[in-house]
Amino acid sequence: MYKISDEQIDYILDDISARGVKMEDLQQNILDHVCCIIEQGLEESGDFKSFYLQTIETFYKNNLSEIEEETNLLLTFKNYYKMKKAMISSGAFSAILLLTGSLFKFMHWPGAAILLFVGIIVLCFLFLPLLFILKMKEAKATRDKVILTMGVVIGILYFLGPLFKVQHWPGANILLFTTVILMFFLFIPVYFFTGIRNPETKINTIVSTILLVGVVSMQFTLMSLKKPVNSTTDNNSKSTKIARY
Amino acid sequence: MIYSTELIKGTLKTIVLKMLSDNKKMYGYEITQHVKEVTKDKILISEGALYPTLHALESEGLLKTETEYIGKRVRKYYTLSPTGKSKAKEKMNELTDFINTLTFLLDIKHA
Repeated sequence: MYKISDEQIDYILDDISARGVKMEDLQQNILDHVCCIIEQGLEESGDFKSFYLQTIETFYKNNLSEIEEETNLLLTFKNYYKMKKAMISSGAFSAILLLTGSLFKFMHWPGAAILLFVGIIVLCFLFLPLLFILKMKEAKATRDKVILTMGVVIGILYFLGPLFKVQHWPGANILLFTTVILMFFLFIPVYFFTGIRNPETKINTIVSTILLVGVVSMQFTLMSLKKPVNSTTDNNSKSTKIARY
Repeated sequence: MIYSTELIKGTLKTIVLKMLSDNKKMYGYEITQHVKEVTKDKILISEGALYPTLHALESEGLLKTETEYIGKRVRKYYTLSPTGKSKAKEKMNELTDFINTLTFLLDIKHA
């Protein structure tokens, strides 16, 4: 049985690291595995270096770093599924809260504020960030990454604006204005002009842009950006009109 | 006959969990040698498949580890965690059921 010296252990460890395996845990596992094979297979007077090189080559197809890549893939894959589950449950949860919250608000039932508040917070600070992380992993082109980042930031602002408005918190109008400005002058132009250049995404980009402009315009037309005209003033002006005629 | 990597990859987690439920604590090299001996060289687990699987099982909380110094190098022993024990049974049942279904599907007659 061959006895491996401390210098040879250092040599193997350096070589494993130089071959692209950087995770310490994995380095130690591979080191021990190689040492076991050498100790079992090499004669006492055998050539350590050539036996080691032959052994390590049996560990991979192209590079030793494949083992680390495969490990990372399996670890990320596991988190990927957990995150995907969390994203779907948080999205469904916030959608239910938003739906019931808006119904309660419309009917002037108590509890609308808390339903809307929790719904929007979950949507903005759990669902959208998770969506961002997962989609960022899938996005390959810089264009997709830029669009995604802007989309998520503006999306968060888009939902926070109405929340501030219905809760009568200060800064609601600033949020709403910022969202409109960013949407019309940054997101939509970038989305449109980068999308129509690619023949594959051209039609989809045009259709989505029209729909986006339509939806955002309608949304902000309905939601008056200025304070509603006071009803007493309104009555006064009516009575003035009546008096005139 | 040595089985293809695809066939082994799909069952490796179950094989590792089963080995550990039978042998209490094992290290990587020991697992590969044990499988090799038991299957009479028919199943050869590659290092490139074993260690990513061990790390994944550990991060899923199915395995516990303890380290031992062998001179200057560190040996990592793997054991099943309580969750790992129940998962091993679950995976074994699933695989047995799958083998039965395959036997039926492919109309394999027992000799």
